[in-house]
Amino acid sequence: MRKQLYNVGAILKGLSITFKFMFAKRPTIEYPSVKKQHAPRFHGLHELRRYADGKERCIGCELCSSACPANAITVIGAENTPESRKSPGERHAARYEIDELRCIFCGMCEEACPTDAIVLTPRFEMADYRRGSFIYAKDRLLVPPEAGVGTPPDERPNGIPADLGRVAEVKSTIDITAGYGATHRGEILKTQRRGLAG
Amino acid sequence: MAEAATEMVKLTIDGVPVEVPKGTLLVEAAKKIKQEIPVYCYHTKLGPAGLCRVCLVEVEGMPKLQIGCNTPVADGMVVHTRNEKVESGRSMILELLLVNHPLDCPICDKGGECDLQDYAMAYGRGASDVADPKQSKPKGVDLGPTIVLDEERCVVCQRCVRFDDIIAGERQLVVKDRGHNDIIATSTGDPYRHNFTGNVTELCPVGALTSKTYRFKSRPWDLNRTETSCTQCAVGCRQFADVRYGTLVRTMSVENDDAISDGWLCDRGRYNIGYLGAPERLTQPLYKQNGQFVQIGWDDAFALWAKAINDARAAGKAVGALGGGRLFNEEAYLLGYVMRALGVKNLDWRTGRQLQASPGANASYEALENASSIVIAGDIAELAPVLWLRIIKAVTRKGARLVRVGACGAAPGFAHTDVTNAGEAAQAVAAEGGVAIVWDGADLALGAALAATFASRSPLAYIASEQSNARGAEAMGLLPTDGGADFTKIAADAANGAYGVLALFGANPLRNAPNAETMRGALQATPFTVVSELFMTESAQAATLVLPAKSAFEKSGTVIDIAGDLLPVNASLQAPVGALSDLEMLIGLAQQFDLALPTSEELDAAVIARAAKPLAAALGEARYATSEPLAPSSSRSIWDGGGTCAHDDRIATLRREPVKVGA
Ligand code: SF4
Ligand code: SF4
Ligand code: SF4
Ligand code: SF4
Ligand code: FES
Repeated sequence: MRKQLYNVGAILKGLSITFKFMFAKRPTIEYPSVKKQHAPRFHGLHELRRYADGKERCIGCELCSSACPANAITVIGAENTPESRKSPGERHAARYEIDELRCIFCGMCEEACPTDAIVLTPRFEMADYRRGSFIYAKDRLLVPPEAGVGTPPDERPNGIPADLGRVAEVKSTIDITAGYGATHRGEILKTQRRGLAG
Repeated sequence: MAEAATEMVKLTIDGVPVEVPKGTLLVEAAKKIKQEIPVYCYHTKLGPAGLCRVCLVEVEGMPKLQIGCNTPVADGMVVHTRNEKVESGRSMILELLLVNHPLDCPICDKGGECDLQDYAMAYGRGASDVADPKQSKPKGVDLGPTIVLDEERCVVCQRCVRFDDIIAGERQLVVKDRGHNDIIATSTGDPYRHNFTGNVTELCPVGALTSKTYRFKSRPWDLNRTETSCTQCAVGCRQFADVRYGTLVRTMSVENDDAISDGWLCDRGRYNIGYLGAPERLTQPLYKQNGQFVQIGWDDAFALWAKAINDARAAGKAVGALGGGRLFNEEAYLLGYVMRALGVKNLDWRTGRQLQASPGANASYEALENASSIVIAGDIAELAPVLWLRIIKAVTRKGARLVRVGACGAAPGFAHTDVTNAGEAAQAVAAEGGVAIVWDGADLALGAALAATFASRSPLAYIASEQSNARGAEAMGLLPTDGGADFTKIAADAANGAYGVLALFGANPLRNAPNAETMRGALQATPFTVVSELFMTESAQAATLVLPAKSAFEKSGTVIDIAGDLLPVNASLQAPVGALSDLEMLIGLAQQFDLALPTSEELDAAVIARAAKPLAAALGEARYATSEPLAPSSSRSIWDGGGTCAHDDRIATLRREPVKVGA
C-alpha cells in the first residue's frame, strides 16, 4: 500500500512537469505564419552582387567552384566585348549556376571570391516540387540592377548586407512578398509558384 | 653520335654528388637529382638567355650568386640551390618581376598552370615593399589571328622572341622599347602569323601570350586530359587533348616528346579543333531519293548498301572503294579485309596527288636532324610542318645543307640551294656526311631519280604524305595489288558507267583530287555511291548514301607517321549521337553478308605485322600500277586537305582554299 502511494507521488511529480510546460512559453513557433530570427551570419541562399554602376561583380573566374567542397557551382567564362560589357575588365561569367540541393551552405564560395560577387544571404525558404528548380542560374542569383549594390561582406554590420536590410528587418516575420519578392530570385520563385498553383 | 667519350665532371648540388658531362648547365645538372632551379627565360629547347635571374644559385668560392641557367658545371663545384642567401636573392628577383605585374590571376588563362604563380608561392615573400602604383599597359592586345597579348603580364623573358627566331626561323616577334616600357610586338607591326604561332602560348611562362580559341574557355583544373597523337597531318605529333563538358577546348604539346614532335605543335594541330562541335556535323545516315537527302536509320543504311553491292554484282558492274588515308590502321585494314572478302579488288587509298607513302626503309625524325645534307622535293614546310622545324634545326643550328629540288613552295628565310633535278641535287649536297631525302610522294619519276642518284650515300628517306595516315592505308593494303583498278582507272571507268557501287572513306576527291572533274563524273555515273564523312562535303553531296563518321578525337586506334612509327590515337571526346566510326560501319556492312570478321586480337596483330614492314623497295618504286600520273601541285598550305577548318569561324582567317593544279 505504502509502496503504491509512493508511486502516486512519482506520477504527480511527472505530471507537474507536464503542467509546468503546458503554461510555460512555447519554444516552437507557428512556422510559416511566424518566423524565427536567424543568427546574423546565417548561411542561406546565394546572391550574385553588382557594382554601383550596375556591372556584374562576377568575373567568371571559377574560384568559387573550385573552392566548393560539394561541387555545386558551375561557371563558364566568356569575354566582354565593347558591344556587350557585363563586368569590368575582360572576363565575365556567361553561365553561373549553383545546385542548391548539392550545396551544404558552408560559405567557402564567398570566401574564395576575389570580387565579393557571390554572397550567402539569410534567405532559406526555397522549397519546391522539382529538382531542376534548385539549380539557380544567373537569372535567379544575380540581384536586379534596381535592387542596389550594398556593401561588401567584410564591411557589413553583423554581416548583414545593407541591401538586404529589408529582409533582415522582416526576418522574424518574413512574408513572401516583402522578403523574397525583394530580389530577382523571389520574382522567379513567385512566378513558379503561381505557375504551379494555376 | 659517335663522338669521343664525353668528359664527365663531378660536383655537389645541395650536398648530393652529381656526375654530368662537361659543359652541362647547372639547371640541367640539378634536374639529375630532381632538385628544381626555377627558370623563366631558360628553356631546354631555347637555351639560356640570362634575362630573368630567377635561377640564382650559390656557388662556393664565387662572391655573388650565379645564374644557374648559364653557369656550366666545373669539377669540384659546390652548389647550393636552397640556402638562405639564395632564397633571399630569389625572392628579391620575384618581387622585382612582380613590380608591374597586374596579379589578375582570376581572369588569366594561365592561372593554375603559371610559373609566376608557382614560383611566387614557392619562393616569393608574399608582399612587396614597392609603394608606387603599378604601371598600366594595354591588355587583350590582338597580336595576330591566333594570339592575344597582355602586355602587363609579360616578364620579358623573351622566350617567345627566341622561339620565333631560333625554332621557327621567322623573326617576327621583337621586344619593342626598353625598361619598364618594353612590350612584345611584331617588328613590322603586321599581325603575328606563321604556321607555329601557338607554341609561344605554351612557352610563355606567364599569361602574357594566350590563344584566342581557348580564351576564357576553361581553367586548367577543369580539363579532362587525354594523351594522343595529332592526326591532322602525317607527322603525328604527340599531343594532349583537353576536354571540358564534352568540348575539346584545346590541344597542348607534349614537352618531352623528342621522338616525334620535339615538343612543338603546328597551328593546324593546335587550333583546328572547332569543327568537332560544329552544328553542321552529320549525325544521321542520309539517303538520296529523287535528288533529295532523307534521314534514314543505320540498319536501313547497311541494308541499302548491301543490296546495292548485290545488285551491282548481279548486273555485272564493278564495285570499288577509294580513300582510307585518313582512317586509322585498324579501319583501313578492315576496309581492305571486308572488300576483298566481298571480291572487291578495286581499292586505292590514293585520291590525291600523292602516289607513294612508304619509303624503302624507315628512318627516325631524330636522325634527320643529324644529316649533313637534306634534299627536299615538294612543299614539305606545309605538308609536314613540325618535321619542317627539324629541318630548320638541322640547317640553321647543325650546319646541314638544304637542297630544294623542283617546286617546293615558298623559299625559306635561310640558306638553301634550289635545283631542278636529281643530278643537280647531287652536285649541291655536301660531299661528306649523311644525306636525307624528304619527298612528297607525288612525282614518281623524281622520287626514283633521287633514290638512284643518292643510292651510294645510303640516304635516309622520308615521304611527307598529304593525308595523315596515307602510310597506314598503304601498309594495310588499300591498294589494287591483286589485279584491281587503281584510282585514276576507277575514276575513268566509273565515269563511263562501269561501276555499280563506289565507296569513299575519309576522302573528298571532289575538293582535293587533281582529277576532281573525272571523279565528279564518276560519282554521277555510278548508281550507288557511299561516302563516310563528318560534314556534307563536295563529295558527300554527290553521293547516294552519306554515313556520319566519328572524328579522330572520338575513336581509338593507331596511325603510322612519316618515320614509320606506329602511333596510338586515344579517344578523348564523346562522338555526337548517331555517328559511327568507319570500323563500326564496316562491321555493319560485313554483318549484312554474314562475313566472318577478325577478332580484335587478330586485327591488332595484323596491324602490327603490316606496320612493321615498309611496302615499297625504294623511293619512286611504288609496287602497284599507276595508270596515268597526275600533275603534282607545287604549293600548299597546312590548312589544305580535309577542309574541316572551314567549320570554325575562329580560324577563318587562317585557312586558304586548296591550290588548284594548273591554276
Ligand atoms: S556554400 Fe559551400 S557548398 Fe554551397 S556553393 Fe558555396 S562553397 Fe559550395
Ligand atoms: S562568383 Fe566570384 S569566385 Fe565565383 S566566378 Fe564569379 S568572381 Fe569568380
Ligand atoms: S610574352 Fe611571355 S614569352 Fe614573351 S617575353 Fe613576355 S613573358 Fe616571355
Ligand atoms: S605537324 Fe602535323 S601532326 Fe604535328 S601538330 Fe601539325 S598537323 Fe598535327
Ligand atoms: S632562367 Fe636563368 S636568367 Fe632566366
